[in-house]
Amino acid sequence: MEFASFAVFFIIACTLSAVLLGISSLLGQKRKAIREMDIYESGVNPVGSATRQYDIKFFLTAILFLLFDVEIVFLLPWAMAYNGAPDQTFMMWGFVFFMAILLVGYIFVINSKALKWEE
Amino acid sequence: MLEAIIEILLKTAVILALPLGALPIIIHVERRGAAFIQKRLGPNRVGPLGLLQPLADVAKFMFKEEVHPSHVRPFFYTAAPVVALVVAILPLACIPIFAPIEIFGRSVYPEVFKSDMGIFFAFAASALGSYGILLAGWASNNKYSMLGAIRACAQMVSYELSLSTSLVAMIFLYGSNDIHVMVAEQTGYWFGFLPKWGFFLQPVAAMLFLIGIFAESNRLPFDLAEGESEIVAGYHIEYSSMKFALFFMAEYIHMIALSALFIIMFFGGYSLLPGMELIADRIPASLAILQALSLIIKVASMIWFFVWVRWSFPRFRYDQLMNLGWERLLPIGIANLIVTVLFVYFRNH
Repeated sequence: MEFASFAVFFIIACTLSAVLLGISSLLGQKRKAIREMDIYESGVNPVGSATRQYDIKFFLTAILFLLFDVEIVFLLPWAMAYNGAPDQTFMMWGFVFFMAILLVGYIFVINSKALKWEE
Repeated sequence: MLEAIIEILLKTAVILALPLGALPIIIHVERRGAAFIQKRLGPNRVGPLGLLQPLADVAKFMFKEEVHPSHVRPFFYTAAPVVALVVAILPLACIPIFAPIEIFGRSVYPEVFKSDMGIFFAFAASALGSYGILLAGWASNNKYSMLGAIRACAQMVSYELSLSTSLVAMIFLYGSNDIHVMVAEQTGYWFGFLPKWGFFLQPVAAMLFLIGIFAESNRLPFDLAEGESEIVAGYHIEYSSMKFALFFMAEYIHMIALSALFIIMFFGGYSLLPGMELIADRIPASLAILQALSLIIKVASMIWFFVWVRWSFPRFRYDQLMNLGWERLLPIGIANLIVTVLFVYFRNH
């Protein structure tokens, strides 16, 4: 039932966006100007292609995000289970151990200057 | 069965109508607020006090020429605004605007998508927001768009870490991931006057979360994705007419959803504002309406805070932004989590 409810919500949201797009392409002014179709680069003629190389730092950020986010996702069920756990001392030391490993990884990342942006 | 269908449709209508109806008001408040802060007049010509300006804008967006440049990747170019808007709307499905009530013997939940994992779903859906932006940037096949999209994406994932650490801390403290339990924990008063809001329990987590939602919704001082002085408009530079409007709406709805999450975790969600108990005690039937009103007032104050910050602070530089996220907020968030856990453990043992 909840999923049916969510499906209705999702479909209505999609329809809404599609209808809005449809309205403007139906009602919008039609005109074909060659210059308008060009790539916008502050008014000068476009140079080169857009799919060029970008800074490796962006990819490093994404990979490191994956690493840390997975560790935090592991903590979510831990946080939910803590209150009802039979042995909270074990839970607490497990958490501390886990965070210590995370800390070692974090210090390594900072020391290797993977996240230093200024040149 | 019929009742269930009516309930679903009614809830969907309310949850969609509230933010979409509030959008023109928010945009108007943003413009007038900007003018007020900068000692300008702002839009004041269309209708009384300029209140009809948003309607005029909608009409303009509809009748504008839809430029479909020849160099874009057509399918993704059209799909990106739709993805952005739908994904911005999704978290709203899990946000309750009042406590479960009984109407005609049926117990009615206010959320469209009632789930134990509601708050995780809302977080996951709001994190998907980067897909709309990334798709738009890549499909536009423009250097500014691409740069804006990559920047926005790196920024959003970086600040998501500090958001998640404060989420873990709050779930740990409330002992549950159910939004209704979280709100129930925050109902009542300490010492008879201080509301039991999570903000007073975890001010550090609240500040991290607040900074995180500014970065997540790409608002100033974190609007590097569309820094006008560097990359003109960022990911939506090649978009015009209603396609651009969809990105615009997505940004504001994303703001509303993130503010609602912030309110639920740190400012008591739909728990009554101080003073409202007097009315609720007299007329018990008005409880749900008062709760919805409380949530709306709290979210509206957050939106005004967004506007206020936007027109008061300059933009960060990109390296400052990334350093703040990774070298300040993430360690602070993790330290806050460890201190919280140790404090709770040693208090109980």
